[in-house]
Amino acid sequence: MILQAEGLVKHYGAHVALRGLDLAVGAGEVFCLLGANGAGKTTTIQIFLGFIEPTAGSARIKGVEVRDDPVAARRCLAYIPENVMLYPNLTGLENLEYFTTLAGVEDTSAERLEAVLARAGLPKDAVQRPVGTYSKGMRQKVGIAMAIARRAELLLLDEPTSGLDPKASNEFSQLISSLRDEGVAVLMATHDLFRSREVGTHIGIMKRGELVARLDADAVSHTDLEQIYLEHMHG
Amino acid sequence: MGLMGTVARKELRSLARDGRLRLLGAIVVVLTLAALGFGVQQAERAEHARSHAAEQAEAQWRGQGEKNPHVAAHYGTHVFAPASAATAIDPGVGPWLGRSVKIEAHRRNLAAHAEAADGGAGRFSVAAVLLELVPLLIIALGYGLWSRERERRTLAQLLSTGVDRRVVGRGKALALAAVVAGLLGPAGLIVVGTLWALGGGDGDTLTRLGLMGLGYGAYFAIFGGLTLYVSAVARSSRAALVALVGLWGLFTLVLPRVASEVAGAVQPLPSRAELERRVAADLERGIDGETDREATVDRWTREMMAEAGIADAGLLMDDDMFAVGFELRAEARWEDQIYDHHIKALDDRVAAQERVIAWLGLGSPYLAMRALSAGLAGTDVAHHRHFTDYTEGWRKALMEQLDVAFANEAGAEGWSYTAGPELWAKAPPFEYRAPGAGAALRGHLPALLALGLWLLAAVLLTGRGARRVGVR
Repeated sequence: MILQAEGLVKHYGAHVALRGLDLAVGAGEVFCLLGANGAGKTTTIQIFLGFIEPTAGSARIKGVEVRDDPVAARRCLAYIPENVMLYPNLTGLENLEYFTTLAGVEDTSAERLEAVLARAGLPKDAVQRPVGTYSKGMRQKVGIAMAIARRAELLLLDEPTSGLDPKASNEFSQLISSLRDEGVAVLMATHDLFRSREVGTHIGIMKRGELVARLDADAVSHTDLEQIYLEHMHG
Repeated sequence: MGLMGTVARKELRSLARDGRLRLLGAIVVVLTLAALGFGVQQAERAEHARSHAAEQAEAQWRGQGEKNPHVAAHYGTHVFAPASAATAIDPGVGPWLGRSVKIEAHRRNLAAHAEAADGGAGRFSVAAVLLELVPLLIIALGYGLWSRERERRTLAQLLSTGVDRRVVGRGKALALAAVVAGLLGPAGLIVVGTLWALGGGDGDTLTRLGLMGLGYGAYFAIFGGLTLYVSAVARSSRAALVALVGLWGLFTLVLPRVASEVAGAVQPLPSRAELERRVAADLERGIDGETDREATVDRWTREMMAEAGIADAGLLMDDDMFAVGFELRAEARWEDQIYDHHIKALDDRVAAQERVIAWLGLGSPYLAMRALSAGLAGTDVAHHRHFTDYTEGWRKALMEQLDVAFANEAGAEGWSYTAGPELWAKAPPFEYRAPGAGAALRGHLPALLALGLWLLAAVLLTGRGARRVGVR
């Protein structure tokens, strides 16, 4: 398994954000976490990033306990949040070069990175423009380009298509699907039932810090998924 | 350099495209160069006035014509402290304490011609820019280095690459250092070149300038470290800026004032009028307040005459005219001990005040660097005291020479005896040399200690800030 959570618990004072979450994502799998706001999706991703420490339980990436060595755990992952935040006065290419160099990518030549940006769908004329002029969709594409350039084995996506127009959202889903097909493991927190079924291999529904349902994406139709989701939300 | 260099290059690129750097950098460079120009002009004007006045005093002394030696001693002369080229960088206490001393019989004068007394002393100098404005530049450029990353949420993106946040912290520190060095380096070369052209190219001045460069480098590093730490732990960029400007105000405005007040309260100085009153009282009745001046001077006169081999002192004392030269020497001895006592007490008080301020400098890198800067520029209290002590020694030697000539040559002519240019030309040469850079450093060990401790703290805080910086 690339990513594994066992009995993950997170308390914020009296509030319990995660209640013993168990989760595993292997290579070539996309695990979509569905749930309302406050269900614990983002907390789960932040724990795997090492940005917050779990109160109890284990979060491992390629066998590395994130709490013990977050820097080593992060080396094989790429993170795409709801809004990929970049340095506005650097160009898309410069941002990509910076982040990939820090990630330890050896080939950060302009030719390679431009090719990666093209694969991620960034228009050629935007590559040398300051990111401050980019739309949200373009910034998300730079985020995808980072993952591609790094040859990340794990993608942590936190509502990456939120706020994107349908076309950009579709392009994004296609890129995730192609990375999945290349063997990349993906953990994606989302509200988008349609996209989760489209790109996911597994779907988990979270409620109040617990995984209340676990489904194979191929085994449910969109209508069934919506029905199951609503039942859990209202149940 | 590795990843640290990558971070530094990115920060430099961002700063270069940020209008703030161009604006603030231009302001600081222009102010530094303007302060240098002003300082050079002031130093040149002071040096010109000093050399002109010194030549005039020398000419007046040598050309004063036939005169009784003691009358010549009363007319006296003036001596002037040579202005070091480094004065153009840091005028120190020079404008407040004066750079010339009136030399005359019976009296040890304090230095005079202080610009501050005329209300003309400005605080605009290269040192003021370096001590007060460059830290503000560092704060302005660095307060958002961590906090803005957090606010823009680029920090999460950055750390998700697996880079060690300490490496990022070092890269940011390197970028900040490179910006300051890039802005001030060329200005520093202009300063050194200008001082060289002003005649400050001797080894000691270069050593002092080199040490000054190291000191200011450490001083800027301290502010850089504090800036990065506050930026890392503050809740927002605005909070970081407010905290840092507050810290700057505490260091450069509040603590120096508090230190002066504390030093003044712990070691109060007498006013000039009070000092003169005490000296006048002691001149009458001695330091213990019980000694008979006339009897003492009379006894010393007899002893001097006996030492001079005038066996029948009693007989010779009947001849007032002959004895007067010895009597003047004895009187000078009486007066010198009174002046030496009071001036030493005053100097010791000033030195004690300096020590109080120096130890309080542990709480403010500004205070420590200000003291060190003036010390290395040769414009601190210690250098002033070194000059006035030399001057007093020279005054005593000159007066002794004149009184000895009077005692030995007057004979029965007594007060009618006159000497001429030959005697005036024998005046001991006034060849004052300021102490070396080593002595200047030794005089500021508390300041060096304070800067060292602050630098260590800044380095530790830079690392601690990087470890503590949170993505939210």
